[in-house]
Amino acid sequence: MLRMRSLLPPLLFTLAYAGISLGVTNSYYQLILTLVPVWAVFGLSWNLLSGYTGLISFGHAAFFGIGAYATALGQIYFDISPWLLIPVAAILGGIAGLLIGFPTFRLQGHYFALAMLAYPLAILYVFEWLGFQEVTLPIKREAPIAYMQFADPHLYTLLGLALMLATIVLTQVIERSRFGMALLAIKQNEAAAEAAGINTLAWKLRAITLSGAIAAAIGGFYAQVLLVVTPGSVFGMLVSAQALTVAMFGGVGTVWGPVIGSVILIPLAEILHAEAGARIPGIQGVIFGLAIVCVILLAPEGLFWKLRDLLRKRNAPKATASDIAETVAPNVTTLRPASPRPATGEVVLEVRNLSRSFGGLKAVQDVSFKLHKNEILGIIGPNGAGKTTLFNLLNGFLKPSQGEVLIGGRDMSGQRPHVICEAGIGRTFQVMRPFLRMSILDNVVVGAYVRARTDDQARQFAADAVARVGLSAVADRVAGELSTKELRLMELARAIAGQPRILLLDETLAGLGHGEADEVVAVIQQLARDGITIAIIEHTMQAMVRLVDRFLVLDHGAVITEGLPEVVTRDSRVVEAYLGKKWAGHAAN
Amino acid sequence: MTAKSKITISRRTLLAGASGTLIASRAWAQQPAEVKVGLLVPISGLYARPGTVMREGAEMAIDHINAQGGVKALGGAKLKLVVLDSGDTTEKAKNAAQRMVAQETDLVAASGAYLSSFTLAVTEVTERANLPMLTLSYSDLITERGFKYVFQTAATAGSQAKQALPQLIKLAETASGKRPKTVAILTDNTGASIASAKAMREGLLAENQLQLIVDETFTPPLADATSLVQKIRSAKPDLLFFLPTVISDAKLLLEKMNEFGLGQGKIPTISFGIAIAEPDMLQTVSPELLQGVLTCVASWGAKGHEALIAELKTRYKEPWMTQNAISTYGDMWVIKDALEKAGKADRVAVGEALRTMDGGPSKYYPLGEIKFDEKGRRVGAGMTIVQWQTGVPVTVFPPELALAKPFWPKS
Repeated sequence: MLRMRSLLPPLLFTLAYAGISLGVTNSYYQLILTLVPVWAVFGLSWNLLSGYTGLISFGHAAFFGIGAYATALGQIYFDISPWLLIPVAAILGGIAGLLIGFPTFRLQGHYFALAMLAYPLAILYVFEWLGFQEVTLPIKREAPIAYMQFADPHLYTLLGLALMLATIVLTQVIERSRFGMALLAIKQNEAAAEAAGINTLAWKLRAITLSGAIAAAIGGFYAQVLLVVTPGSVFGMLVSAQALTVAMFGGVGTVWGPVIGSVILIPLAEILHAEAGARIPGIQGVIFGLAIVCVILLAPEGLFWKLRDLLRKRNAPKATASDIAETVAPNVTTLRPASPRPATGEVVLEVRNLSRSFGGLKAVQDVSFKLHKNEILGIIGPNGAGKTTLFNLLNGFLKPSQGEVLIGGRDMSGQRPHVICEAGIGRTFQVMRPFLRMSILDNVVVGAYVRARTDDQARQFAADAVARVGLSAVADRVAGELSTKELRLMELARAIAGQPRILLLDETLAGLGHGEADEVVAVIQQLARDGITIAIIEHTMQAMVRLVDRFLVLDHGAVITEGLPEVVTRDSRVVEAYLGKKWAGHAAN
Repeated sequence: MTAKSKITISRRTLLAGASGTLIASRAWAQQPAEVKVGLLVPISGLYARPGTVMREGAEMAIDHINAQGGVKALGGAKLKLVVLDSGDTTEKAKNAAQRMVAQETDLVAASGAYLSSFTLAVTEVTERANLPMLTLSYSDLITERGFKYVFQTAATAGSQAKQALPQLIKLAETASGKRPKTVAILTDNTGASIASAKAMREGLLAENQLQLIVDETFTPPLADATSLVQKIRSAKPDLLFFLPTVISDAKLLLEKMNEFGLGQGKIPTISFGIAIAEPDMLQTVSPELLQGVLTCVASWGAKGHEALIAELKTRYKEPWMTQNAISTYGDMWVIKDALEKAGKADRVAVGEALRTMDGGPSKYYPLGEIKFDEKGRRVGAGMTIVQWQTGVPVTVFPPELALAKPFWPKS
């Protein structure tokens, strides 16, 4: 049902486009109609990597050019048909993606973008050095169809359309699967994704491999349309830029973005070139550039999102206030003050002599503690005490310099975060990075894949998790419309969707008002009653005293003391660490 | 548009057939007053400057042809130039070519498209549309594809190097009294430069008893020419072949040579292609540095073109006539001659006329004849050697076209 409904728009679009194409007899317009799907597919391939993961690639021409040259040289030197060469080009593009991705994914943000820029430029010079400055496809007068050389230009358009439809459907399938969710999670917060049990490097490599394959295939087809391949025309800066332009103009991170961008920009550029350029040479570039600047200013994320937001606003004129009031679901019974839960004695997490230093700074030194099943451990300490660093060591963001982390008796120190997540540790973050355009449920699904075997099961886990934090009533709302409290609960839901045994909560109460904090506290208590063991970092002592069973106090990276709340809060060392020596005396009185 | 003109022609043919010569001669008078000729060159983007010069050459030729009575075989029909912008990428050039054949259906022939990679893409389109295309691009590849509607007026890159080398050696010998023995090659890695350098490395130098002692390829634009010049200084070749495409590279190297005391002819410098003789050179390089620099080009304003050079100067403020201007000027005349021979304004007939024409010695292209071989290459196409003399690159070879005597820089 869902499959059919999502398949219909691209199918209708393709049919309509094909209809228009068949009605066009002018061979020049037909060529433009052929180039639109070419650049749309190239934009889609870029979108698959950069749109969904947020890792901007300035170098997609590398794949495009490899495809184009493979298709051209294969015909010239081996007399192979492009029908075979284009799939071969796709394989080569995929391999190139893997080879490029593996070292380059070590970099992030701008560094990744700049490194990607280098690949096509480097390859360009290699092809020049090899003497392939100008390569023309041999004309095949005897068997034109076998060599994809059609006398009827409509066929090129139809073939381009078929490639576009296939790419759109593939993108849609990915978008809705674990694959797409993983990529979106990486875009939101790569660290959080790792912590949610997603093997980010593996998914990124899959994305760049597939993206490279699609780009190379369409590059091969482009060579077939252009009939001449030069390094500049397939590896050049402008080629890489074309992918970004159509995708960013139309909308990043959606299947329709690059299609919209291409449908508008490619003919526009040509019309300007033919009409305005004939009067004032060069003016076409100025108008084209200005048009793009204006659209980016008015719709920074692209036309698709702007239009969707406008439609949404019109269709949902009033966000019903009553909905928001009812967000705390009845299945959470507020309980206070915390009745001490006797620890069962079973140790689920044991930390032995854990240390980590950054240069001369000992951020965590010789920390040892045990986490018993079903307890809530509060980890407190002043700013810079090493609380978050400790969490990062526990869930694998950092490797310890010394010491061990035993999960269920097994030493897991130094493992990658997603491995530790699979072992049953979930975590939330001090700084939230929800995916604002996605619904709460979709945000939470990301965290469920670590346990779920199928997409359906993941949805089920996510729905359960949303219910447990009391957000069921608003599960379909997009995250961008939520309050801070709801976002905190959503993060919590994402962490428990992966069905962890141990939950590490990093300042989950930060930024909440008094009443709001109480609601979240109630949810956490309920989770503990349901059998999850919790370690929580917090500044606000007030809420913590009511929440936790036991405190662990850190200062300068070392454990000062450990014990029951009422004991710890009166400990002069704790007061000193928080307030300074002067107040330690007052506290004693 | 197409359908309409087809109907007109068929009705006319019918009438002519039915009513004999009287009506046929009336049909003559009804020949279109204008015959459209295409010019597909870059007039925007990176290559706008040479493209504009090509247009100037074409416009001058069209004006001259029309002033002299148009195409006589077509009752004095005037030529009309249709200019299309090939832009600055291969894709844009191909799109423009498609637009040309789709929307300018009554073109009889065209000229273009400056860069050989553009010409390659453009002719893929024009060949399929049976539109004759004249080109000054000299990549060998253009006429190696078995196309019937491409006509290359310049000597191909391979042939140019072959022709130039013996002449240069002769020039050096007569001027300096001794035969050069060692050479250095400094080339960028663009298509045309690579083709020329390759021909020299693979046999031409050996044939002319020249020994290659420095061989450097660089990628434009150069950031610094010091290491290149140092290599030349330590090797002290008798000749330096310097093949830049980008003007800034030419400037950088010539200035560095001067700085190292090798400039102004201490080591005779010879180039291929027109980059080093473009008017833009003077905007960045002083004439003293350029003095004596030689370049081998496919065509140049030469003896017999004095009036044209003067007209170009007054009409368009161009300081001299480059290959782009004179070749495109010549193209229009060749198309006119083909129209005279074909006797009708039809692209297939013009193509046939071009293939079979024998227009005698060439007036506007260097040497050879107005006649094309089975590949579409001009028979006997020669080339010119140009030398910077007091701030102007003048043709110094071949002698029958030379506007000035060459001098060999004194060392």
